[in-house]
Amino acid sequence: MSHSLGVTGTYPLVLTLWLLPLLGAIICWAFGPQLRTMSGWLASALVGISFVLAVASWSDATQGAGGTLGAHQPLASWLPGFDFGLLLDPLSLIWTFIITGVGFLIVFYSIGYMDGDRAFARFFAYMSFFVFAMLTLVLSDNFIGLLVGWGLVGLASYFLIGFWFERQSAVAAARKAFVINVVGDVGMMFAIFLIVANVHSINFGAVFAAAPALSAGVLFAICVTLFIGAAAKSAQIPLHTWLPDAMEGPTPVSALIHAATMVTAGVYLVARCAPLWDHSHGAQLLVGGIGAATALVGAILGTAQWDIKRILAYSTMSQIGYMIMGVGVGAYEGGIAHFFAHAFFKAQLFLGAGLIIHALADEQDIRAMGGLRRRMPFAFWVMLTAVLSICGVPGFSGFFSKDAVIYGALQHGHPWVYATDIVTAGITAYYMFRLLFVAFLGEYRGEAAQAHAAAEPAHRPHAPAWIMNAPVAVLIAPSVAIGAVLMFGGENSPWQRFFAPLFGATSSRAIALPPVSEGVTTLLVFITVIIGFAIAWQRYATRSAQADAVARLRRESERMPALLTNLLYFDWLIERLFVRPAQQLGALFGRVLDPHVFDGAVRDLVYWARWLGTLVRSFQTGLVRAYALILVAGAACFIVYYAVAAGVR
Amino acid sequence: MIVLATILLPLVAGALLFALPRQDRVLSRAIGVVVATITLVTVIAAGTTSEWSFRWLSRPFDAAFHFGATPTSFWIALLLTVATACAIAASREARLRDFVAQLLLLEGAMLGLFLARDLLLFALFWDLMLLPVFFVLIGWGEHPATAWRYFIYNFAGGLTLLLATAAFGVIYGSTDVIGRAAGPLVGAWAPWIYAGFAFAFLVKTPVWPLHTWMPPTYSGLPAPMVAVVSAVQSKAGLYGFLVIALTLLPHEVHAYALALMVLGAVSLIYGAVIALTQNDAKRIVAYSSLSHLGLIAIAVGSGNPIALRGALVYIVAHGLFSAALFLVLGYVEEREATRLLARLGGLGWKNPKLAGALCIAALAALGLPGLAGFAGELLILIGVYQAGYVWPVIVALIAIVVASAYFLRLYQDAMNGPEVPDVPVRGDLTWPEALAVAPLLAALVVVGVYPAPLLHP
Repeated sequence: MSHSLGVTGTYPLVLTLWLLPLLGAIICWAFGPQLRTMSGWLASALVGISFVLAVASWSDATQGAGGTLGAHQPLASWLPGFDFGLLLDPLSLIWTFIITGVGFLIVFYSIGYMDGDRAFARFFAYMSFFVFAMLTLVLSDNFIGLLVGWGLVGLASYFLIGFWFERQSAVAAARKAFVINVVGDVGMMFAIFLIVANVHSINFGAVFAAAPALSAGVLFAICVTLFIGAAAKSAQIPLHTWLPDAMEGPTPVSALIHAATMVTAGVYLVARCAPLWDHSHGAQLLVGGIGAATALVGAILGTAQWDIKRILAYSTMSQIGYMIMGVGVGAYEGGIAHFFAHAFFKAQLFLGAGLIIHALADEQDIRAMGGLRRRMPFAFWVMLTAVLSICGVPGFSGFFSKDAVIYGALQHGHPWVYATDIVTAGITAYYMFRLLFVAFLGEYRGEAAQAHAAAEPAHRPHAPAWIMNAPVAVLIAPSVAIGAVLMFGGENSPWQRFFAPLFGATSSRAIALPPVSEGVTTLLVFITVIIGFAIAWQRYATRSAQADAVARLRRESERMPALLTNLLYFDWLIERLFVRPAQQLGALFGRVLDPHVFDGAVRDLVYWARWLGTLVRSFQTGLVRAYALILVAGAACFIVYYAVAAGVR
Repeated sequence: MIVLATILLPLVAGALLFALPRQDRVLSRAIGVVVATITLVTVIAAGTTSEWSFRWLSRPFDAAFHFGATPTSFWIALLLTVATACAIAASREARLRDFVAQLLLLEGAMLGLFLARDLLLFALFWDLMLLPVFFVLIGWGEHPATAWRYFIYNFAGGLTLLLATAAFGVIYGSTDVIGRAAGPLVGAWAPWIYAGFAFAFLVKTPVWPLHTWMPPTYSGLPAPMVAVVSAVQSKAGLYGFLVIALTLLPHEVHAYALALMVLGAVSLIYGAVIALTQNDAKRIVAYSSLSHLGLIAIAVGSGNPIALRGALVYIVAHGLFSAALFLVLGYVEEREATRLLARLGGLGWKNPKLAGALCIAALAALGLPGLAGFAGELLILIGVYQAGYVWPVIVALIAIVVASAYFLRLYQDAMNGPEVPDVPVRGDLTWPEALAVAPLLAALVVVGVYPAPLLHP
């Protein structure tokens, strides 16, 4: 390993924590019918052990500085320059913590959530496989290994979105997610071609060392093509349309893959490739802009949804927009901090939603909820604390991370991005409190909705088992307090010091003196949040609003602008620009060109040859045996001729 | 000597099989599997060192019965023997004894082709390997016209190959040249000789617009036979480009590289979009094959060393996944008596093993990172880009996106969704059936994770 980011040598701990979830996946897949419910316990135990190993390798992963930071384990080599290995440094360590730690909680929760499913063991095989794939993504020390992880998490996501594959909607959503993610993979492949052609290595260390010497055009092209991959995986516009549809999967899947971990892979990628972005101002502008736009678009679309999981999906998209914006403009610590805090409170939101959906027999429409505060007080407190955190209410984790990102935009000289982010924070408060108020306040509207489906027995909410409650309860602590513990203290916070060896050189690039101080920013964000909260309160929580809630909600759904019900026409455009033309082209080629033009030309040739060959028509007896005989006789003549020729030699 | 035994064993065993009692299906299959497995062992035992040569002609040019594996053909021969063993194990056709015999004869003929170190032998085995396929299309196929279309097209290619070989021999003085560090052929005739070779190779692969024999042939052949044909026979032309044309006629390959790349790129995208709209599952795989092999034509045209190494990986990968796809689709058709996607659906619930096998094969085919197809694709495109060609790379990347759409459509329409009520529900794969595809799927994972042995020939 001539070029490696990280110390040379082996580190079996990282190898073990990487492979344990794969082992779990194989066992659950192969012995599922025999293991039954044991498969869930086994899968969560193995992911839990991985987490413990990740904690144990803390000091080794944070050792050293610059080019020899972290622990390294070489794996294999394909060709010179194509060396594969695992690297555990502060950046991959943070992701490993979330993947295995939050992953453990969610897999454990699933034992309760998936109870009684006819493919119980298969679910845990897929979940374990996802954890393995995601670890491959963040632990690889090179671009091809990263891409392999990138593709495998896409596969795990595909399997889990389409987990209930008797539903056509789930099957279609899975396919859509996979194909859009292949668009991203292909973008990253192009980045790899650029990298290999210019640097002759795929190793992070070698590529980053060579980055300053690359021309601006090449560097920009590498960043843009890498970002196509990040945009597809992290649901950035215009490649975000698969994420809301992905809510077809079981709710724990949405919590783990489509909220806490996989969809933040784009954030990881940009942060990992910080040395590339630092040298390309154009790429920073582009990625920062797209991140901010995604944050805004996701928030706007979130205001128009009724499905509890779709609201959360759009909020995920919006929050990842913040993260991408942060790492895009160069505020790496802030972007990663928001990933870290988001993983907790968004997992909590999804698992809380899962408690509700589980209790209400798969009801996901918040219009058919209401009054759940009294019936499910635990779920209410879970959702409330997470909503306060995501809105960035001072003191909660989301406050510290979101402020860091927003202020980072200004520090790095992007006032428009900064303004967009502040507006988005207000919209976020509006749609999150809308969700909370409509679902939990007022009277329960479920029976009213179910009165139409008379034959079905009314599902009354019931309390979920401790298996589901315990992981959610554990999540409350970090989603409330981790920000105050780690991210308080600005430049001297533990968080900043943790990343200093990695981004130390870059954070000093915080250019110029921002016109607005951090305190004013906090105040601005807080004011917009209050405004968003007030509008939501006025529309859904006042006494008069709750009195005729059913009629009001129906009126709101009926009067929803077409722009919002059509989701800003992103799907519509993709369908008309790409999907349909490809199918029409396929039909044209397959039904017209192939049989009538290319094959037709050959048939015509044969026809004319036959016309010329009327003389030998007497040989055309039409008997297969005769043809075969002629064939064999011809071959025999040939062989005899050469045999004789050999003889007279 | 051992290399000669490798070739003769399946040929002799195939011929002797006709002496067996007609009814004994299990025995003929068992003999077929054993013979194919022994052949596999002898291919490994022969390695690239065992050679056998017997002088044949000295006028009008030197020729010899010269056999021996080159570093490239060793892997293709290995692929061939694995694919044949799996195909025979998966055979459930009517008149099984004769069918297995044809498969063995096909294996022998193709081993002769890939292990030939003499160009004249290569050309003769080229025609010989058409016969078992032709007979199976006549005897087991869906329409005799397909058989004739296959035969006329490929025999025309064989004819130009033979003529070009003869011309080559007369000018060069010897045809005992494959895999030998002999100098290239030069002179006014060289472009014409290259044209003769190229036509045969392009028809056999096939490459657009010479492909129209292929979809009916692939959908008409019984699954085990088409598995071997698409896995290995389609590689004869590419092998010809890689090992024969690139060493003996490098200037001509280089001079007409652009034409080859254009044909490859058109095949790539043309096959992909047609596969998107086909309803017959076997035709989808057939058109995907047109698309995928276009990529190897691009690799040959680029002439870049990384791309050429990738081409060998992709030849092996495509052989493995197309054989697996056709065998699994054969199982589906055998169970459901149809292979139209519109009629299939929901098989995954009752047939998890069948669904799993199709899933792995389809994922390898659409280039999932970590499986063999990806390693080949990636190395080819890295090399093509390095050689300075950007447009074929972009075409290939678009085709990869389209491939993910049509392979998922194939898998999901057959295995996912609600069960189709009027399609009979039969049992999942039996152990023998599963074991017949397992080696192919395992090899896809191994080659995908660690293709290094194929990269250091």
